[in-house]
Amino acid sequence: MMHVGTRILTVEDDERIRTAVRLALEDEGWEVEETASGEEALTAFTRAPADVVLIDIMLPGVDGFEVCRSIRRSSAVPIIMVTARADTHDVVAGLEAGADDYLTKPFAPKELSARIRALLRRYRSSETMPATMCFNQLEVSPEEGVVRLDGIEVHLTRTEFQLLVELGSHAGKVLSREDLLERVWGYDYFGDGRLVDVHVRRLRTKIEPDPGNPRFVVTVRGMGYKLQP
Amino acid sequence: MTADTERESALRPVGLRARILLAFAVGGLGLSVVLAGATMVLARGQLLETREESAAAVAVNNAVRLNNQLTPDTTFEDLPSIVDSLTSLEGSQLLVRLKTDWLLAPEFGRGDIPGVLTARIEGGQPGQIRAIVAGRPQLVIGLPLPSFDAAYYEVVDLAGVADTLGTIRIILLSAGAATTLLGAVLGWWASLRTLRPLRRVSAAAQAIAGGRLDTRLERQADPDLDALADSFNGMAEALEQRIRRDARFASEVSHELRSPLMTLTTTVGVLEARREQFSERSRTALDLLSHDLARFCRLVDDLLEISRFDAGAASLELTEINVANFVHASLHVAHLDDVSVADGLGGRPVVIDGDKRRLARVMANLLGNATHHGGGLTGVSMERDDTVVRISVEDHGPGVPAAEREQIFDRFSRGSSGGRRGGGSGAGLGLSLVWEDVRLHDGRVWVEEHADGGSGARFVIELPLPEDVLELEAT
Repeated sequence: MMHVGTRILTVEDDERIRTAVRLALEDEGWEVEETASGEEALTAFTRAPADVVLIDIMLPGVDGFEVCRSIRRSSAVPIIMVTARADTHDVVAGLEAGADDYLTKPFAPKELSARIRALLRRYRSSETMPATMCFNQLEVSPEEGVVRLDGIEVHLTRTEFQLLVELGSHAGKVLSREDLLERVWGYDYFGDGRLVDVHVRRLRTKIEPDPGNPRFVVTVRGMGYKLQP
Repeated sequence: MTADTERESALRPVGLRARILLAFAVGGLGLSVVLAGATMVLARGQLLETREESAAAVAVNNAVRLNNQLTPDTTFEDLPSIVDSLTSLEGSQLLVRLKTDWLLAPEFGRGDIPGVLTARIEGGQPGQIRAIVAGRPQLVIGLPLPSFDAAYYEVVDLAGVADTLGTIRIILLSAGAATTLLGAVLGWWASLRTLRPLRRVSAAAQAIAGGRLDTRLERQADPDLDALADSFNGMAEALEQRIRRDARFASEVSHELRSPLMTLTTTVGVLEARREQFSERSRTALDLLSHDLARFCRLVDDLLEISRFDAGAASLELTEINVANFVHASLHVAHLDDVSVADGLGGRPVVIDGDKRRLARVMANLLGNATHHGGGLTGVSMERDDTVVRISVEDHGPGVPAAEREQIFDRFSRGSSGGRRGGGSGAGLGLSLVWEDVRLHDGRVWVEEHADGGSGARFVIELPLPEDVLELEAT
């Protein structure tokens, strides 16, 4: 199978859901490691890092946000958050904590595997990347998978990196939220624009000298974002 | 107007304001009637008494002088000169009887003197009487002069007093009218003052009815009104808690349903992946299960959403939405790409501030409604005017009877056509969510007939254009 060797770590306190999700993911040919609490998940991740982490936000003890933040401190692994509702602060808080994408309960297994595939694609498609781009002190090298600011390497998640590459390969042109959702996340028109907004914000804190007054990734009101060459 | 409504309007209770005004006016009127009446009685008595006293004094004086000037030899011919020398009060006239002869005043005859009085005088007693003489109110005073077998009469005109009283009456009537009017004005003012707190109560009640459940009345440091404010606020508090509790209950139920639904959805997904391994019967059962599970999930979602509206917790996640792109994308996700879209936006991109998730649900509901219950979608149109943009969805069904065009947006409304809309695969909450979502955007939604009068319904959503766009266009 195509994804043999892909390990997915799931954190979910409801045993039935955990089992059902494992069945669905195993059907896709992925290897699943189940954990029932935040502590267990962090231990499991430290022992053997997974390729994708699926975290339910509502956990007893260490909650999903904390698990997400802890993993992010040491790893750029793709993280999917599972929230109860799409219109709560949970979504933004989860994205701020470092999640790459989110799903709302109840979701169909097809949706979940589509999200995981989109993330894995982002994580592994460096062969088709464009050549190195330079914008003043900012150097984006898709081949190496590295971003340098004043020659110093900046650590980005793959989603942030992909976002920067998309903006960089259209430098000076405005990309709408819908364009970015499609190019980076693989969503259609109705994808959640907050994904773009939060990731742009996180990207800015890493590459902008003054994130409150960005000079690389600028907002174009009514249209979207562009990378200022 | 029918007989019933006529009776109703005749019996309709008078409003509080009218009643206060009326009470003040009637009070003013009553008071002025009593005061004017008393004034009239007193003035009349006083005026008449004065007049009569002075007339009596003059009469006695005259009678004494006449008595002194008469001699036993005085004849009737001597009388006029004697009488002329007597003083006479203005408006009074003298009559004298000497033996059987009468010296009469030009206007009076003997018959004008009341018989009661003459009888008394001839009996040797002085007397006076008020009477209408020659058509006027007069005081007739009589004094006997027994020494000469004579009598002295004086007729005093009281019309002057009556005139004065008439003037006073006019003054009192005007004063009474003025007092009544003043009473009415005071009543009007008092009713305004009295009803001002009631208007605040009414405004607060309206605000609560309009969904602002946290509306409360301020205390005004008035013990009478504060009791009202307190009980009103108590009621509002109880109402708010109750509504919030109901909404929370619905929300909690939906949340509780999420976990089993999550397991079900995932498990059914796992089964569907193995579809081909099942027998025909199992496949049919799986289809039923998966179809109704999807419906159930949608219903729980809608229920949760509507409970958020009820709790006043629904909020907008605004982003800029290009209307044309949005409409085309909505058709695309509904697999309706081949439906014709009439673009009346005037060739320029129209961008509104909207909640994409909510508006997508609105479009999905309207498109689904047209496809599943409206006999098929026939067209979508977009148009704008100065302040709003309208998106219309037309179907080919039997349309919506005029009487049901508002109810159709009610929860679980099925209409007279027996579940044609909202029934079947629809959840019955779809159109009421459309209504709530559009209203949250300060927009409107309604259903009407096709513009060309053809068969079918036309659902129109109208959303406001953002103000800065309008400003931009104006400059």
